[in-house]
Amino acid sequence: MKRLYILSCIILLMAACQKDWLDREPRTIISDEQVWNDPKQIVALLANFYDRIPAENGLTDVNDDGDGRLFQWRNMANYDEGMWSGQSNEDWRNNITSYGYDSWYLWNYTYIRDINLALENIEKYGLNLSTAQKTQYTAELRFLRAFNYFNLVKRMGGVPLVTTRLVYDYSGNVTNLQLPRAKEAEVYDFIGTELDAVKDQLGNDGSATRANKYTALALKSRAMLYAGSLAKYNSLMAAPISTPGGEVGIPASLANGYYQKALDAAREVISSGAYTLYRSNPNPGENFYEAVSKKASNKEVILVKDFLLPTRKHVFSYDNIARGIREDNLGSSSVVPSLNLVESFEYLDGSNGALKTRTADNTDFIYYNTPADIFANKDARLYGTIIYPGASFKGLSVSIQAGVMVWNGTRYDVVEGSDLGTTYTDGKLLTGTSGPHRSIQEVSNTGFYLRKYIDPNDKTSTRGIQSDMWWIWFRLGEVYLNAAEAAFELGLTGDALTYINTLRERAGFGASSLSTLTIDRIRNERRVELAFEDHRLWDLKRWRLADKVWNGNPSGPDAMIYALYPYRVVRPGDAARDGKYVFVKMTAPRIRAPRFFQLGNYYSAINQKVLNNNPKIIKNPFH
Amino acid sequence: MTRTILSSFAILFFLLAGCKKDNYEKPASTLTGKVVYNKEPIGLRSRGVQLELWQHGFQLFTKIPVSVSQDGSFSAMLFDGNYKLVLLPGNGPWVNNTDSIDVTVRGSTTVDVTVQPYFIIRSAPVTKNGTEITATVSIEKISAAQSLESISLYAGKTNIVDQVNNQGSVTVNAADIPDQSQPVTIKMNIPAGLVTQNYFFARVGVKTAGVAESIYSLPVKIE
Repeated sequence: MKRLYILSCIILLMAACQKDWLDREPRTIISDEQVWNDPKQIVALLANFYDRIPAENGLTDVNDDGDGRLFQWRNMANYDEGMWSGQSNEDWRNNITSYGYDSWYLWNYTYIRDINLALENIEKYGLNLSTAQKTQYTAELRFLRAFNYFNLVKRMGGVPLVTTRLVYDYSGNVTNLQLPRAKEAEVYDFIGTELDAVKDQLGNDGSATRANKYTALALKSRAMLYAGSLAKYNSLMAAPISTPGGEVGIPASLANGYYQKALDAAREVISSGAYTLYRSNPNPGENFYEAVSKKASNKEVILVKDFLLPTRKHVFSYDNIARGIREDNLGSSSVVPSLNLVESFEYLDGSNGALKTRTADNTDFIYYNTPADIFANKDARLYGTIIYPGASFKGLSVSIQAGVMVWNGTRYDVVEGSDLGTTYTDGKLLTGTSGPHRSIQEVSNTGFYLRKYIDPNDKTSTRGIQSDMWWIWFRLGEVYLNAAEAAFELGLTGDALTYINTLRERAGFGASSLSTLTIDRIRNERRVELAFEDHRLWDLKRWRLADKVWNGNPSGPDAMIYALYPYRVVRPGDAARDGKYVFVKMTAPRIRAPRFFQLGNYYSAINQKVLNNNPKIIKNPFH
Repeated sequence: MTRTILSSFAILFFLLAGCKKDNYEKPASTLTGKVVYNKEPIGLRSRGVQLELWQHGFQLFTKIPVSVSQDGSFSAMLFDGNYKLVLLPGNGPWVNNTDSIDVTVRGSTTVDVTVQPYFIIRSAPVTKNGTEITATVSIEKISAAQSLESISLYAGKTNIVDQVNNQGSVTVNAADIPDQSQPVTIKMNIPAGLVTQNYFFARVGVKTAGVAESIYSLPVKIE
C-alpha cells in the first residue's frame, strides 16, 4: 500500500511537468512582435507620443523636468498676457525679478529615443502590417520627431540630431554616443526636409487629433517662419547672438529662403480648402470664441490635444473661470488677462487700442453709462478672448466693479469693499461678485477674466465634472498669420494684406480694413489673434524683441502688468456724472516685479549634467 | 527592575551619543573681493552680475554662483580649498575674458577681479532744478570691440537704483548722441512717486550693445 502511494506521488509530480514549462509566454508583458503587428496597439502607442508633445502652456498641470513632459497652464501667468490671481502660494509668478537662464529648458531625449526605437521596431517586427500601414505609422512617428526637434530648437538653439537609437556596446568607450550640437540652421533644415518627406504619407485626412498632410504643412510654415525671422532679426541686433560653430545664430543670407518656404507651406494649407476660417456665428465676438473653443463642425482647427468627458478631462475651467460665476465653492480666477493685452486690441476704425479713461486735457474722468461702454467698437476678438467689465459668459453677466468714487465737494474719495458682492450705503453695488480686488486671492487682480479655453457647458467648472475643452496646437488663423508675415518679409505686401484683412474681417472689421502694413501691425495681429495659445514668448524671442519689451523697467509701459479698475460714481446733484462709471488704470496690485528678459534668456542654459556627460556639447551664449 | 531601568538609560545614552546635530561642518571661510578696473570698483546692477566658482576634484561638479552687489563687491562663504573663478561671458559690462582666476581659500581671502569694461563713466553729476533732474554724463570708451547702445538716467526711492529698481527712467539711444566724447545731458521730470519725497536717489547706467548688464555710476542722493 505504502509503495503504491509513493509511486502515485511520483507519477503525479512527473505529470505536472511540461516540456517548456520555463519558456512560457508571459501573460503580463506584450512582446514587440505583438505590438508592431497590431494596428490597435500601435495607435495606442502613438497616442502616448501625441500626449507627450511638450508645450510651455497647456490646459493641464504636467511639469516633469526630468522627462521633459510639459503641459502647464499656470505658465500663462508668467508673461505679459496675464498674471496670477489665484491662490497666493503661486504669487511668485507675479514676482519674477528676472527669468532664470534655465527657464524653458527642454532636453527630452527620452522622447526622441522612444520614437527612434519605435521607428526601428516597426521595421524589424512589423512583418504582418501592410505596406500602407507601415508607411503611415512611420510617417506619423517622423512627424512627431520633427515637431519635437522644433520644440527643442526654439528653446535651446541647435541640439544634437539623433535619428537612430544610440546603443552602448560595453566597450568602456562612450565617445561614439556623445554627439555634438548641430547648427541651429541644420535643425530647422532637418525639420523642413522631414516634413516634406512625410507629408504625403500621413493619411488621417480630416483628423484634428492626428497629423495629416496639412498638419505637417502648418508645422512647416511655423518652423520656417521662426527660422527666417531668427536669421533676419538676430543679424539686425547690435551684437548678434551666435556661437562660432553656428549652434546658435542663423546667417542673415538664409532668411529669405526660409520665409519663402514658410509662405509656400502656408499657401498650400490655405488654398487646399481642407480648412476654413470658422464663421458659423453671426456675432463676431462669439464667433471668435467658438473658433477656438467649439468642437462641433469646426473646420478651422488643424491639430488639437483633445479631451473627452467623462474620463479624459481637466480642471482648467475650475481654476480659471470668472469668480462671480464659478460653480464650485473654491478655485477660479487663477490666470487673468492684463490691461496690456486688452489695450493691444485695436478699435474697429483701426485706431490704437488704448482705452480712454481720462479727458484729452487729463482734468477729469470720462464718464460711461455702463461698464461695457468703454469697450465699445473694439476688435471682436477682445470679446472672444477676454471677459471684461459688463460682458457675460454662459448667459450670466459677470459683475466687475472695484468700488465707488464718492464726490466730497472737491475731489473723489475711493471706496472699495473689503469683500466681494458688497453693497454701498446708497443700497447699490459697491464691489462686484467678480471683483476686481487688490488683495483677495482667486479674484481678478486686473479687472479681466479669461474667456478663451473656458468651457461654456454647465457645471464644467466644478471639480466633480470638469472640462473637456481641447488645446490647440495648430489652427488656420495662425497659418494665415504665418503667410502674412512671410509674404510681408519677402516684399509681397499685397498678399500679406489679403491674409491679414481676411482675419480682421472675421474679427468684425470691415472688408479690406487695412491698406498699408507694417511689421509692427502684423506682430500685433499675432498677439491678439493667438493670445494664450503659447505663441507670445516664442514670437518675441524670434523677433529679438523680448529683451526690449520685457526690459525689467518698473516704470515702463510693457514690462509691468497693468490693471483697469471700474468705479461707480456717487455724486448726487450732478446728473451728468452720478451713477456713471469711470475707470482707473494702475499697476496690478499683486504684481511685485516687472517682467525682465535678459540676453542670456534667448537660449536656455544647458543643464550642467548634460555638459558633464557629453564634453562635445558647448554652452549657449551668456551662460 | 532597577537593572531594566539602568540598562534602558544606557541604551538611551548610546542612542543619543550616536546622534549628531549635523553631519557636515558648514563652510566657514570667506572669500571677498571687488570687480575693478584701474583699481576702481565698477558700479553694477544689484544682483545683476554673477561670478562663478568651480571646484574640481569632487564628484558633484557644478557652479557656485556669486552675486556681485551694486558697488562691485562680492563675498561668499566657502570651504577651504582651491577654486577657479570664472566670469560669465557677455554678462557683465566688460570684455569677455575666458581665463579663469585661481583662488586659494584659506580662512578669509580677498581677491580683486580685474576686468576691462567697454565703457567707463568718468563723471555723472545729477542736479535738481524745480521739477526736473539733469544728469551730465561723461563716458569714456575703453574697448572698441562693442558699440554704445544707450545711456539711461534712473531715479528711485532707495539707493538701490537701476534698470529694474526705479520709479522713473529716461533713456537716450546711441543714435541720438552725436558725439560720445562730449558730456551727454539727460533731463527727466521727477516721477510722480518721488515728488513728495524729502530726498531720492538717481543713478546713470551705460548700456553696451550685446551685453546684458549696464555699467552704473554711484547713486547720487538728491534732496
